[in-house]
Amino acid sequence: MTRAALLCLAVLVVRSSTASAQPLDLQLSVSPRTITFASANPDTSPTVTAAPISVTVRVKGPKTLQWHLSVLADGDLVAGPSTIPISNVTWAATQAPPFQNGTLSRTTAQTLAGGSGALNPGTTSTVTFSLVNSWLYDAGTYTQTLTFTLSSP
Amino acid sequence: MIAATPVAAQTQTTTATISANVGTLATLTLSSANVSFPDADPDAVPQVAALGGPLSITAKARATRLSQVLLTVQANGPLRSGLDTIAVSAITWTSTGAGFVAGTLSSTTDVLVGSWTGSGTRSGTQDLMFQNLWTYASGTYTATLTYTLSAP
Repeated sequence: MTRAALLCLAVLVVRSSTASAQPLDLQLSVSPRTITFASANPDTSPTVTAAPISVTVRVKGPKTLQWHLSVLADGDLVAGPSTIPISNVTWAATQAPPFQNGTLSRTTAQTLAGGSGALNPGTTSTVTFSLVNSWLYDAGTYTQTLTFTLSSP
Repeated sequence: MIAATPVAAQTQTTTATISANVGTLATLTLSSANVSFPDADPDAVPQVAALGGPLSITAKARATRLSQVLLTVQANGPLRSGLDTIAVSAITWTSTGAGFVAGTLSSTTDVLVGSWTGSGTRSGTQDLMFQNLWTYASGTYTATLTYTLSAP
């Protein structure tokens, strides 16, 4: 093969790589979007469980596609000047894998699910959050925002 | 030749609100619901210790931030044996444990047993003593004590 032919082949490969990007479709649904822990006696309820939520992921794309679903808290649970460490909140997820159990963090996004290849139709996990109950908590109504991120590099 | 098929990076985000209701709550545990003082010679035993030793007290409270948690006790009246009475002020106590204080029983006002700031679990003892006098009519005297733990 001549030098000119090799150069021509290289040009063709580059063109095909840039011109045929496969469509990627990521869909994420969280419902309901409120997670509430009721007040309870720490002696009788050392852990308080919220009503489960549904998290649905649908991924359309090539088989080599890597995808990742994470959850990150904006901070600790806050009620005025009082706080409860967000790390006192854990979750249990059905449909493992690709979903998995974990503990909330305010500094590092925690993996809720991940995998490779398409997930179509989507998969729905029932995710149940639990809070470690304690006599040390100040009385109050605590809130925080969780951000769920479904991404593909 | 194998060329990876390029896929445009994509991100989907959604948020949820997480909330926890932490209500005020108080539970009080005493090691015994009964306190008895045995008969004794006032000269030999001017202060009679309760049978069974000190009461162990566990006060658990969940209160609003920096609020005062109080444990008090009050008698329903004097010690009575038929028509005979002994003032409940004859009963005093010393305490152990952070926040627990010594005191003298009253049937007219709540007397402080312990105080703390904010939520938590507190444990201590209350060592009740009975002032023994020759002036008491013989008999078996009783009264009811009400302990109150408040967490605002």
